[in-house]
Amino acid sequence: MNDRFPIDLKVNGQRYQVDVPVYRTLLDFLRDDLGLTGTKECCVVGECGACTVIVDGRTVNSCLMLAVEADGGEVLTVEGLAAGGRPGPLQRAFLEHGSAQCGFCIPGQLMSAHGLLLENPHPAAAEVHEALAGNLCRCAGYEQITEAVLAAAEEVGG
Amino acid sequence: MNAETIGADFPRTGGLSRVTGGQQYVADIKVADALQVKLVHLDCARARILSVDKSAAEAVPGVRFVMTADDLPQPVPRFGPHASDRPVLAAGRVNYHGEFVAAVAAETKEAAEEGARLVKVEYEELPAIFTVDAALAPDAFLVQDPAIRRAGDPLANTNKFAEHRFGWGDVEAAASAADLIVENRYAYPMVTHFAIEPHACVAAPDGDGVVVWSTNQHPFQLQKILAKALGLPLSKVRVIAPDLGGGFGGKQWPNIQPLLAFMALKLGRPVRLVLTLEEVFQQVRRTSAEVRIRTGVKSDGTLVFQDIESNFLVGAYADIADRVVSKGNYLAAGPYRVPAVRIIARGILSNTPPATAMRGFGVPETAWAREMNLDECALALGIDCLEIRLRNLARYQEEFVPGDTPADGRWEQTVRRAAELIDWGKPMPPHCGRGIAVAAKSGPTTGLSYATVRLLGDGSVIVFSGTSDMGQGARTVFAQIAAEEMGVAVDRVSVVMGDTSVVPYDQQTSASRSTVIMGTAVLNACRDIQGQLRSVAAHRYGVDEAAVTVDRGVVRLTGEELSLVEVAKAGLGKMGGEYVGNGIGRKDAVPDHPLQGTAAFFEFNCTAIEVQVDPGTGELTVLRHVTVGDTGKSLNPMQVRGQDDGAAIMGLGHAMMEHYIFDDAGRVRNLGAIDYRIPTSKDLPLELISEQVENGDGPGPYGAKGVSEGSILCVAPALGAAVRDAIGIAIRDLPLSPERVWRAMRDGK
Amino acid sequence: MQAFAYARPESIPEALALLAEHGSGAHLLAGGTDLVIALRNGSLRPTVVIDLKRVTGLSPAIRREDGHLCLGATTVMRDVERDAEVLRHFPALAEAASWVGSVQIRNRATVVGNICNASPAADTAPPLLVYGAVVLAVGPDGERRIPINDFFVRSRQTTLPAGSLVTGIELPLPAGRMGSAYTRLTRRRGTDLASVTMCAGVDGAGVTRLAYGSVGPRPVLVCDESGVLADPAAPDEVKAPILEEMLAGASPSPRSMRAGPEYRLAMLRVLGRRALQTAIDRLAKGMA
Ligand code: FES
Ligand code: FES
Repeated sequence: MNDRFPIDLKVNGQRYQVDVPVYRTLLDFLRDDLGLTGTKECCVVGECGACTVIVDGRTVNSCLMLAVEADGGEVLTVEGLAAGGRPGPLQRAFLEHGSAQCGFCIPGQLMSAHGLLLENPHPAAAEVHEALAGNLCRCAGYEQITEAVLAAAEEVGG
Repeated sequence: MNAETIGADFPRTGGLSRVTGGQQYVADIKVADALQVKLVHLDCARARILSVDKSAAEAVPGVRFVMTADDLPQPVPRFGPHASDRPVLAAGRVNYHGEFVAAVAAETKEAAEEGARLVKVEYEELPAIFTVDAALAPDAFLVQDPAIRRAGDPLANTNKFAEHRFGWGDVEAAASAADLIVENRYAYPMVTHFAIEPHACVAAPDGDGVVVWSTNQHPFQLQKILAKALGLPLSKVRVIAPDLGGGFGGKQWPNIQPLLAFMALKLGRPVRLVLTLEEVFQQVRRTSAEVRIRTGVKSDGTLVFQDIESNFLVGAYADIADRVVSKGNYLAAGPYRVPAVRIIARGILSNTPPATAMRGFGVPETAWAREMNLDECALALGIDCLEIRLRNLARYQEEFVPGDTPADGRWEQTVRRAAELIDWGKPMPPHCGRGIAVAAKSGPTTGLSYATVRLLGDGSVIVFSGTSDMGQGARTVFAQIAAEEMGVAVDRVSVVMGDTSVVPYDQQTSASRSTVIMGTAVLNACRDIQGQLRSVAAHRYGVDEAAVTVDRGVVRLTGEELSLVEVAKAGLGKMGGEYVGNGIGRKDAVPDHPLQGTAAFFEFNCTAIEVQVDPGTGELTVLRHVTVGDTGKSLNPMQVRGQDDGAAIMGLGHAMMEHYIFDDAGRVRNLGAIDYRIPTSKDLPLELISEQVENGDGPGPYGAKGVSEGSILCVAPALGAAVRDAIGIAIRDLPLSPERVWRAMRDGK
Repeated sequence: MQAFAYARPESIPEALALLAEHGSGAHLLAGGTDLVIALRNGSLRPTVVIDLKRVTGLSPAIRREDGHLCLGATTVMRDVERDAEVLRHFPALAEAASWVGSVQIRNRATVVGNICNASPAADTAPPLLVYGAVVLAVGPDGERRIPINDFFVRSRQTTLPAGSLVTGIELPLPAGRMGSAYTRLTRRRGTDLASVTMCAGVDGAGVTRLAYGSVGPRPVLVCDESGVLADPAAPDEVKAPILEEMLAGASPSPRSMRAGPEYRLAMLRVLGRRALQTAIDRLAKGMA
């Protein structure tokens, strides 16, 4: 036992084999160690969702997860949503619907929305509200966010 | 006007980086070699500091420095926008829960945290004042030492920070002519901004000066305050304020920045601090208020007087709160024709987190009282609550506050539209109710913005503006204006903001001013270029300048129309180059005006709400929430809707669930996201409708007025009225939590 | 966050050995949604954190076994709320799980973690009490079955013997027809800690079980065997005193920020009546 621990994981498709301090949260690991600052920090108690990422297909609060817990897993962050640098359908829908105001909550909202569409390609508005209830937006663009998620589902799901 | 540019739902300039995670907020910026800072504060509201022992903290590996007041110039420098009352670090005393007494700088966040935990502060806890009554009690101690009050302040030996008196007409005479007088007290609790981006600051030595990255709405005000505190010329203080992750007024005035600047200069190294959300709650909040209001009406509902006494509880330091008190109360009698008005408004100091600007700037607090009380008059007289508003509403161009800007919109149109959208008058099922309320807020009363526009050799454009984009979308609007005037596509325009060394001066980003004042500066900068092109065209085509007009991307010669860019390119010739235009937008001060100036425009809003009350639990379901604002002209309707929806939901949060909870010793108990609740996607009205009235009657570009605050102004009274309509009881305290509504139903009052 | 050691045992004996070695300095990690907060704010300063997620035998799967359904030590809320067997036989548990935090939280938080923290407001506790769940534990002295009603002591304290860990929760499949429902009171509709939790279960024999929480040091289970509460035809005046007696065990703290004691007690009654009614309706519809 040590206070550092070797981990081997994929982030946005890229493999990393590194030693991390065991107390490092996944959030700090992404932001400080990998420089992936798209994932945001606000409450650090699992309430705001700004830090939401997808681990092995499920949305999680990266502020409540230790980096060592992601060992062997696959992490997807907002930076991974744009395939080949081109914004994906959800991102385009957020742009077109004016869903991003200050933008600070948006990476988290996008990841929750992405997680939702993975499980449920044709959500109803209430299902979007439920899936995104853990993502606070103080600009409170909830309506425009929901519209964007529904539009993206339409586009992708046909 | 090019309908594809102005008035179009143009996607946000800077939107792409916001949806890809590329946007660099202050906390995302890597500054090489930066030390991490952690603040030390005490778990009490007021204390005398006896000693600070740094030794254990300094022994933590990685800790480089523990800063206390002793490490600052003596006496400890103080700063503030209104009075220089706030010390850079607590000097001998702690005056509110969360005031920082020391700061630890370390190589890692963990070491800074551990160091902060180990700084040993010996202190004597003192009783604290955290209510209006306690502050005004005859034997109350003074929250502020008179020595730090403004010189000659006659109130220096009281806890009143200031007392403002506004009004006109003779209230006493009017009272004797009133058919009905209704008097009540209303309370508005302490709430906080809760921007999702916590406040952050990085400061670094920069040659013989300092550079500060800060989550800041007013980079130029911060620059001025830092220069004064540090004794440096403005040119040696560079403030970089990247786009904010939400501001809402909470990021206007400095709190941690002077400390960081002193630390950076002392250590000769960059220092970085990101506040925890809990700490943010301890640094910024809205003023809370207790308002006693006496309203006199004729039996037909005509207002004859308003007599208002407001006590706004501000924090231990004034920050900008006194301006909130004066501006929020100046229009306390509302957008109505009232023959006699008397307003006494006090800012009262207390041992609580500093109250600062917040969306609505004092108006939600007074609108809550006035609109609820007006309903009580209407009900007592048997007059419809919509009717009483329409009867008293100021008409277009009516000078409803003597000597000030007359009503600048057809407000009855706004109110009628809201009433229509909420189906006013239609019967409702049991346990349901409807309410309607109006409010107006003065836009800026003074303002000064400079803008520079560069039309580059290939016809693309850069706008330089000192406005901060915190989500309201100023970047997009400026890009639209420049695109319209230069006749280029919006995506050919870049907007540079937020760096005092790069962009020209802007007074501030507040009071929904930017579209109007900075927008005018951008427009004028474009006109400067258009003027240059007039001579270019005249010269080139051999005509008289008088025969050339340049407007919105088009150069007109007699019988010929050319694109502005074409003429510009031709004018540059082989050498290339560019055109530089400068523009100013200003709202001049008015001597002796109680607010230093008249309103540039009014943000007028009507909110109507339909609610269902759970008779067992008191829980509210907002069935429909209608908000209609008068925008003059919506330059980007999609962004306007974002602002209107957002302010409406924030207002619902205040009205339904938000408030600071204090313990007996004046500590805030519900710091942070777990016990301070704001609306989530599951707390929305079942239907939210926002609409805008556009008559092109605003002073800004293309007839625009400011938006961004209107929708928050009267949510609480609209909801309060709806709840009263549903349960038959008026509740005069906020928030309308299930427990409060249940209690009212149980007690029948 | 301060340093601690991290261990990732692969077997139950290995996990038990770590617990034995580190005693009270050891802390178990399953979902981590509460633990990481406590580690960050310093309210817990363990010497070692033992991550149970890779232990064979502590799987996240929900298993149907002879006469019961078994939740694993690492079964997360999100799986419970959507599991067909849970929805069919234990709908109140699915409801409770679905109201814990946000989707992100429910993707990590485990039911076992929820009960081991023993928060009086734990959402899954009332349904587990009503359904007569059994906590399966293993320790130095071997395996042990603890009826859930004997498990809770007070916030952060259970009867789980030191050095033991919970390997799962067994839910006996109802022998006959049953109707059940879970409800709670919160400050907002979005994710929130409950100010009152309430679960009602009514079976074909007329027995009514109520379990409620957030109104005292631990969740409370009470039972009415008279058949009156379960009787859809019994008038309110007859039910009221019985209900009153069943709810007498509530003693909400006056210190809570979420709601005052008076309100909580009143709401306990409102929610009690509502949950009971839903349970009766579900029984009638044959919905479990
Ligand atoms: S920062 Fe992780 S939920 Fe708020
Ligand atoms: S866009 Fe600003 S917090 Fe959501």
